[in-house]
Amino acid sequence: MSTASSLTTRAPRHMGRMLARALKYALLLFMAFIAVFPLYWLVVSSLKDVGEIFSPTLIPLRPTLENYADAHERIPIARMLLNSVVVSAAVTVCQLVTSVLLAYSLMRWDFKGKGVVYGVLSLTWLIPFQAIMVPNYVQVNSWGLKGNLMAIILPFMASAFASISMYQSFNAFPRALLDAARLENKSELGILIDIVLPNMASTIASLAILLFINSWNEYMWPVLVVNGMETAPIQIGLKSFMGSDTNLWGSLMAATTISCIPIFVLYLFMQRRIVDSFMKWGIK
Amino acid sequence: METTDSLPVAASAAHPAAGGARLRWRRRFQALKPYLFLLPALGLLCFWCYKPLVQTLSLALCRWTMVPGTQPEFVGLSNFVRLLSNKDFWPAVGNTVFYTVGMLPFSVGIPLFLAVATQDIDPRAKQVFRALFFIPMIMAPVATSTIFQWLCTPTTGLLNMLCAWLGVSELGASFFTDPDLARWIILIISGWKMMGFSTILLSAALTSINGEYYEAARLDGAGAFRRFKDITLPMISSTVMLLVMMSILFSTQWTFAYIDVLTQGGPYGMSTNIYYLMYNFAFSDMNVGLSAAAAIMFMAVFGVIALALNRLNRKLVFFDN
Repeated sequence: MSTASSLTTRAPRHMGRMLARALKYALLLFMAFIAVFPLYWLVVSSLKDVGEIFSPTLIPLRPTLENYADAHERIPIARMLLNSVVVSAAVTVCQLVTSVLLAYSLMRWDFKGKGVVYGVLSLTWLIPFQAIMVPNYVQVNSWGLKGNLMAIILPFMASAFASISMYQSFNAFPRALLDAARLENKSELGILIDIVLPNMASTIASLAILLFINSWNEYMWPVLVVNGMETAPIQIGLKSFMGSDTNLWGSLMAATTISCIPIFVLYLFMQRRIVDSFMKWGIK
Repeated sequence: METTDSLPVAASAAHPAAGGARLRWRRRFQALKPYLFLLPALGLLCFWCYKPLVQTLSLALCRWTMVPGTQPEFVGLSNFVRLLSNKDFWPAVGNTVFYTVGMLPFSVGIPLFLAVATQDIDPRAKQVFRALFFIPMIMAPVATSTIFQWLCTPTTGLLNMLCAWLGVSELGASFFTDPDLARWIILIISGWKMMGFSTILLSAALTSINGEYYEAARLDGAGAFRRFKDITLPMISSTVMLLVMMSILFSTQWTFAYIDVLTQGGPYGMSTNIYYLMYNFAFSDMNVGLSAAAAIMFMAVFGVIALALNRLNRKLVFFDN
């Protein structure tokens, strides 16, 4: 009796579980579709010719690169990419250097005012960009830097985000290694460069990727201090291209695709590391 | 220490006073060392963050148009009075609340449902979905804006075609210039960007819960709902609160770029928020005082909110040690 009833109930329960599983995957696929489709549409649209751009075909019938050539002709896209690479690389390196020095100091020594330092760093979260934009704009202008890439880089040479993230990672550094180095009579910079940095290389690389992506995507500050296409990073160039003529959809999508390529390439090769570091340190 | 050690002993013996001074100087230098390492980061932050903040504070009490050669003119608190009676101010505050509240389903609600619903799927499948969900997060706001502008363009955009095909609307719907739709579309784009990230974060928090708790609860006869309420929720409460705090404090910032690129706050200021208004006050109207007054006022408002959320956080969050 009991075995019979359990047999009859097992079948529907099994079916129910299968159905629930299918539903779960359907839900996930739908969400993944929402996340990825706009990008798919971006790339596909950039490959369509003038006759096809306005039709909703999911695969270009006559794939062409003419949009890319057109975008290249209308805006100095290579120059803007180069500007973005220079700015992002400079910002990343500067923030790494300043935050490594700060993190080392906080990890290495106990000194008066440690709490103050941490307070100064964390309070910057509450300072919105809009509360500092005008004085910084005036400052950069007074140095005659408007339209110069330095104007974009200077205010971002140190960041509380990089400093706090670096400090959190440095805090896990084994003290025993430091003490051993001190016995060898090494200088502080020597300890930092020869012992700490090699051990933290992987963490620092992760943070570097994050900082680079953040800087590449930066918009609010550069848009204020850029002056003309030739000195614009790609995001600003894209924005002014977008405003110039609303009917060049193919070329605009081509330019947008190009602006995304460096980030996509990074993501393709280091997807797991990038997601992990975003999760560890949060977003800016 | 190395230089002191290498000093000729005779020299320091011959000039004990000089050696003592040198030693004292060295000791002082040792005490300074930590601060020297801090100096680049803190100095730059003070110069580019705290100094301008103080300047903004004083500009809030002045009238100024940023014209080179002119000086800010002290006008007291009148900027704050004019701000509160500005016709664009209250609608912008309303939109700020709209964006802040509207972001919560995208940054916490839907992700929480998704993460819980898909908790027990195959870990390898999870990795793939994780990689896909995360993509919007690394997209630049400007690139995101151009894509959505193309998707939502009147008549020829894919979304319009889809809506017309489904019979929801006419082909001509213009999402960014429609006073009712503009702020919704801005909200949806900002939400699209956040949703996957939150889902991944919550999903990771769920995975880290010790399975023994569930075993024990099941043995005690706790149902699925009880298990969710008494185990899952407390265990992920710190992640949930983190997302709530981030969302409330930063959604005004997150929507900024989309507003600037896609609608410029329009039509008729229907999609602007308070930060975008400050930006317009300063760089379109050249009214620095008004912009600074709004900035200071809202920094205080968000500061109070942050403090309150922090209190709430301490009260609500359960820590599993």
